[in-house]
Amino acid sequence: MGPSSHQPRSERTSPSSTLAHRNLSAAAVQGQFRPLCRYNYLDLGEVEENLRRAQASKIMRHFIVNPDLANVVAQHLVPDLQDAKTIIFECNPGPGVLTKALLNAGAQRVVALERDRTFLPDLQELESRLDGQLEVVHCDYFRLDPIGNGNVKPPTMFTDKLFTDLGISESAWTDDVPVKVVGFLPERNGRGTLLKMVYALFERLSVYRYGRIELNLFINEREYTKLMSRPGEMIFYRAFGVLWQMACDIQLLHKEPWESFTVSSRQSARNSKSKLPNDHLCLVRLRPRADLFSSGLTPSNASTLLMMVKQCLAKRKVKLIDRLNVWSPDSGSKLLSELGLPEDILTGNVYPDEYLRLFQLMDKSQEFTQSWLYEEILENTQREGWG
Amino acid sequence: VLEARIQQLQSDVVLDVQHAKVQFLKSPSFRPSRWMEKLSEEKKNKLKKQQILQQKMQRNPKEKLPGKSKASRTAAVTTAATSSKAAEALKTSKQKRRDSKSKVSDKDATNKPEDGDLAEIEELEKRLNEQDIQLSIRCYLEACVFMGDVERSQRFLLSQHRVMSRRKQLTTDIYNIMMRVWAKKGTLNQIGRIFILLEEAGLKPNVSSYSAALECMGRNKNCPPKVISRCLDQMKKDGLSVDDLFRECVFRQDERDMLLKAVQTVRPDYEPSLTLNASQSSSPLVKDFYTNRDHHTYPKLDFTQEDLQRRFQHQLSVEQACTVTIDSVEAMKPVTENMVKMRELLAEQRAQWQKVLLQALRENKMILTKTNTRDYKLNLYPYLCLLEDKEYVDIMIQSVSNLPPSGESLKILAHDLGNRIYTKYCVRQKHQNCIVEKLQSIYGAYTELLAKDTKVCNVLPREQWCKLEMEQSSGPTLQGAETSWPYVLMLELGTFIVDIMVKNLKINSDILNPAYDKKLIPILYHMYTFRSTRQVGFIKPHPILTQMQQEAMETTLTFDSSVMPMLCPPVPWTSEKFGAYLLTPAKLMRATHGATQHEELLEKCPNLHPVFDSLNQLSNCAWRVNKPILDIIISIFNDRGSDKLDIPPPLSEAPKIPHFNPQDPDYTASEKAHMKREVINAKKKCSEMHSLRMDALYKLSIAHHMRDKLFWFPHNMDFRGRTYPCPPYFNHLGSDVTRATLVFAEGKPLGPKGLDWLKIHLVNLTGLKKRSSLQGRLEYADSIMEDILDSADDPLNGKKWWMEADEPWQALACCMEIANAVRSPDPTKFVSHFPVHQDGSCNGLQHYAALGRDVIGATSVNLMPCEVPQDVYSGVAQQVEELRTRDAAKGLKIAQVLEGFISRKVVKQTVMTVVYGVTRYGGRLQIEKRLKEIDEFPK
Repeated sequence: MGPSSHQPRSERTSPSSTLAHRNLSAAAVQGQFRPLCRYNYLDLGEVEENLRRAQASKIMRHFIVNPDLANVVAQHLVPDLQDAKTIIFECNPGPGVLTKALLNAGAQRVVALERDRTFLPDLQELESRLDGQLEVVHCDYFRLDPIGNGNVKPPTMFTDKLFTDLGISESAWTDDVPVKVVGFLPERNGRGTLLKMVYALFERLSVYRYGRIELNLFINEREYTKLMSRPGEMIFYRAFGVLWQMACDIQLLHKEPWESFTVSSRQSARNSKSKLPNDHLCLVRLRPRADLFSSGLTPSNASTLLMMVKQCLAKRKVKLIDRLNVWSPDSGSKLLSELGLPEDILTGNVYPDEYLRLFQLMDKSQEFTQSWLYEEILENTQREGWG
Repeated sequence: VLEARIQQLQSDVVLDVQHAKVQFLKSPSFRPSRWMEKLSEEKKNKLKKQQILQQKMQRNPKEKLPGKSKASRTAAVTTAATSSKAAEALKTSKQKRRDSKSKVSDKDATNKPEDGDLAEIEELEKRLNEQDIQLSIRCYLEACVFMGDVERSQRFLLSQHRVMSRRKQLTTDIYNIMMRVWAKKGTLNQIGRIFILLEEAGLKPNVSSYSAALECMGRNKNCPPKVISRCLDQMKKDGLSVDDLFRECVFRQDERDMLLKAVQTVRPDYEPSLTLNASQSSSPLVKDFYTNRDHHTYPKLDFTQEDLQRRFQHQLSVEQACTVTIDSVEAMKPVTENMVKMRELLAEQRAQWQKVLLQALRENKMILTKTNTRDYKLNLYPYLCLLEDKEYVDIMIQSVSNLPPSGESLKILAHDLGNRIYTKYCVRQKHQNCIVEKLQSIYGAYTELLAKDTKVCNVLPREQWCKLEMEQSSGPTLQGAETSWPYVLMLELGTFIVDIMVKNLKINSDILNPAYDKKLIPILYHMYTFRSTRQVGFIKPHPILTQMQQEAMETTLTFDSSVMPMLCPPVPWTSEKFGAYLLTPAKLMRATHGATQHEELLEKCPNLHPVFDSLNQLSNCAWRVNKPILDIIISIFNDRGSDKLDIPPPLSEAPKIPHFNPQDPDYTASEKAHMKREVINAKKKCSEMHSLRMDALYKLSIAHHMRDKLFWFPHNMDFRGRTYPCPPYFNHLGSDVTRATLVFAEGKPLGPKGLDWLKIHLVNLTGLKKRSSLQGRLEYADSIMEDILDSADDPLNGKKWWMEADEPWQALACCMEIANAVRSPDPTKFVSHFPVHQDGSCNGLQHYAALGRDVIGATSVNLMPCEVPQDVYSGVAQQVEELRTRDAAKGLKIAQVLEGFISRKVVKQTVMTVVYGVTRYGGRLQIEKRLKEIDEFPK
């Protein structure tokens, strides 16, 4: 229980001089308590000390050190937390500020997945002080289920092992969200990670075998804009965005300027090649739709859908009908009229749900199952195709 | 007024750029995505800057509107040809934009581009781009001239001249192309006009301009001598002498003779002075070789002059055809009923495709001629008229049959096609320029150096060739008449051709399985594959086509002629652009495309003679096929292959691709995932096996085709100076299998020591006895003579000793050679053709030791005579161990931990790479890795 760490409330909110200028939108949550919290309030720690530890990390990554920010994030995850069944996976907690904030906010079960060994002792110490609300695992969430066949050792892991060790069993897709994941999307190869995750989602592999895992990720603003781009925005409307929009209810929970986060020492300068603004990190909720697999789409034929969407959106300014005719000659106009789309529609103007319906129609038609599109998918499952 | 006109032109240009961009994005998707992407990216950046410029220039917006509507009208017409045209327009517009930009910055210096870095990059890009544009204009014009369309060429040149921005790109040589045309026609006044154009463009006429003018005068029988004298005077004023003309010009057909005729009408005694610009090699390393050659004689080949000339004729006819169709070794397999059926089906389809493609090509050409609304724009039309329509179609059909079942990236396929067209074009150009006859006569004289029945010479092949070229100076010049096409052009042309193929080649879907609905489906399709976050355009054959091709096992293979070894000694390299094949262009230095700096540097290289001479020496070695070995290999190849002996098995031996129904509820998720992985692995394995099999099929088929012939491998180099044979599949640098099938054409009696060397070579090939002295190896060979003879006599059913060797096929070949030698009445007189290898040990260190006159080093890398082979790695390990012991005694922790771990293996890689510049850091990593591999090493 660690009553020794219990300290006066005033210290908890004392603003650090280094962060004094920060403009926190939700300052109102300061000092709020979860009335439901059965446990002693956990001190979020000295800001200076946490800052130092975070910056000492050798891996380039972001941390939440500011207690107020941690509370804001915790609040966003809280509403369902009373429900004891939902488990929170916190990816790379680092010094554990958010971890404590989550526990303070009433989380019943938090699993801290930390990739960096140096943070483990302190987290484990915290684990030992609590009564099972926190479990610490040396694991990198974004490197679960590696593709190659080398030797797998922590922090890389297979999902089965992680979930079995934690005692989480598979649940049906339509059940409630069993696990909420919170963390930062890695800056390096963020797009690749997002793609890998959405593939896993559609095929119900990896963590998605265990149900509708909800992601609450800090994504940089540019990537978020691309993720959410709509038909007609020909430059940014890409396969990965379409697939995520098709699969999930996406909600922007919170927007926070980069300055509010702590970055470990080896920060590479953010490149500013793109025209898109990139001043914030966005906390985005990606909750898989319960009805995703209700009408024709199954995890086993989903790979064809992935293939279809990627082929279509490789170029956004080509006619959809041409693409369809390439896959199955002379079937394009029939399909389009069934969908109620104009003959000359460009691939970049088709909405995600229209792609889904298109796929359902194609999957029913005999012509398309003879097409080479179906031959191709197996070659393109995982390693290739994070485009 | 002029300024206003310029401005108007500029604004047009700006619109053009914009328009090109729009077109580009709209154009159909069949395009090499990666380079196109790059281009478009580049263009996007430019467009941004462009818009800023545009705002600056927006002084007369009224003029823009009509311009725009006009432009869009063109677009409507050109949709069919957009892909290529857009790219063309893109190129041209880029350059134009830059012109307008430079004008703007001239006009108001205050609004100069912001930062210097950008300007610098822009500058570099501009330089590169200008070269590309110049080259494109030149190639376009030459193509027009080649197809005999004088009117089009003249119109094109004039239009380039009229557009101010374009005029800047023109060089005197581009104008000269047109002058040459008029000179052939003998129309002097047209040449005069071009001289005026040159002056207008601010260019000076050069030797070729005057040569064309004089040639024209020479052609006119009644050209007054006064005119010729005036021309000569003018030339003198420009600082050019008549000798310069003869020395520097590249002549085609009878140009030189006409020029001489013209000169001789006013100066009857004139004879061009001929000097061989023989700058001797400057490198002191080879100086002696070139200067002290009193006692040198160039070694003769074992052929008579007549024989060599006959061989030349064979090779010439092969290269004139450009492609060679040979029997596949699989043709020896028995023909099944299904094979017959498939072959018939394919032949039927092919005939159909040929018709379809021919028609499509003609239609596309028609569209191109009609849509060429602006004269100054480059389009692909002339490049589609260089060959007969049928030849283009043949190239297309050939590429369909060579397409691997897993497809090919569009970029590679397109470049291949473009290159094939280019090669054919080059050969035809050589015909048109009457080079073939001249080549024949020079080669005929050149054989005197090589043939055994002529007098001995002390000159090198290159020197002989140059001398002959100078002596037989009348007629066309052999070198330098063909301009090589820019990479982009090859791609564009190739993409255009691929587009025609994808759109027109169809097959009935029920051809193999009548259960399917009957409809026409394309046999090739374009799709994307994704590599990490990049997308790559791919052309894939339809599974039906692949199945037909595999089941038909067609009996013939068609190759480009440059893939085959040559049937006569190659033309010696005399410049970086001339050598190797007779007509097919070859590169002295292999380079990846886009490494233009490499090429520039190569051209600037002052004296490459030693390089030419070394390559010529390698190329002049004649080879022949080791028939008994080839037959054994083919028998295994046509049976079931053998992974152990490195003979790729046929696809029928491939693992079956498991089929499963993913919807089947009986499988659990992990079972499905497992099966899926298995399917992927099986597919991967199949495609690997296919490519290995095809590679072996090509090699063996070529070897089989060459089985009764003698042949040569022309050589070239990469940028490091490593030499390679030009024919890619079958050559003496290949695997054990190909090496074993080759022996020297010219045999020598073994002599007293020859048999011993064969035996030692055999032991070396086995990889055994690496530590033994030569004597030890010889004794070992003698001790196993029984195995050797058994292997030679009964390779497949005997004791199979040879199969255990490191290089089994060469070992077998060597066994047979030894068997033949020892069974001959007198082994010392046995004529052997067998190559015996000599190998170095750590070549980098050998060079270091030699350069440093380092006796200890030289001994340890076997540069000094020694009884037993020395091993430098063990030596180093030993020394390190000594130092370690000393350090350990001093109490150094690391040294103590390392006790017992310093082995040869730990130091080997680092010793080897230290001479190639491995860093301290890299070396540390290497050692760390080796140490980690030792199980007992404390982690």
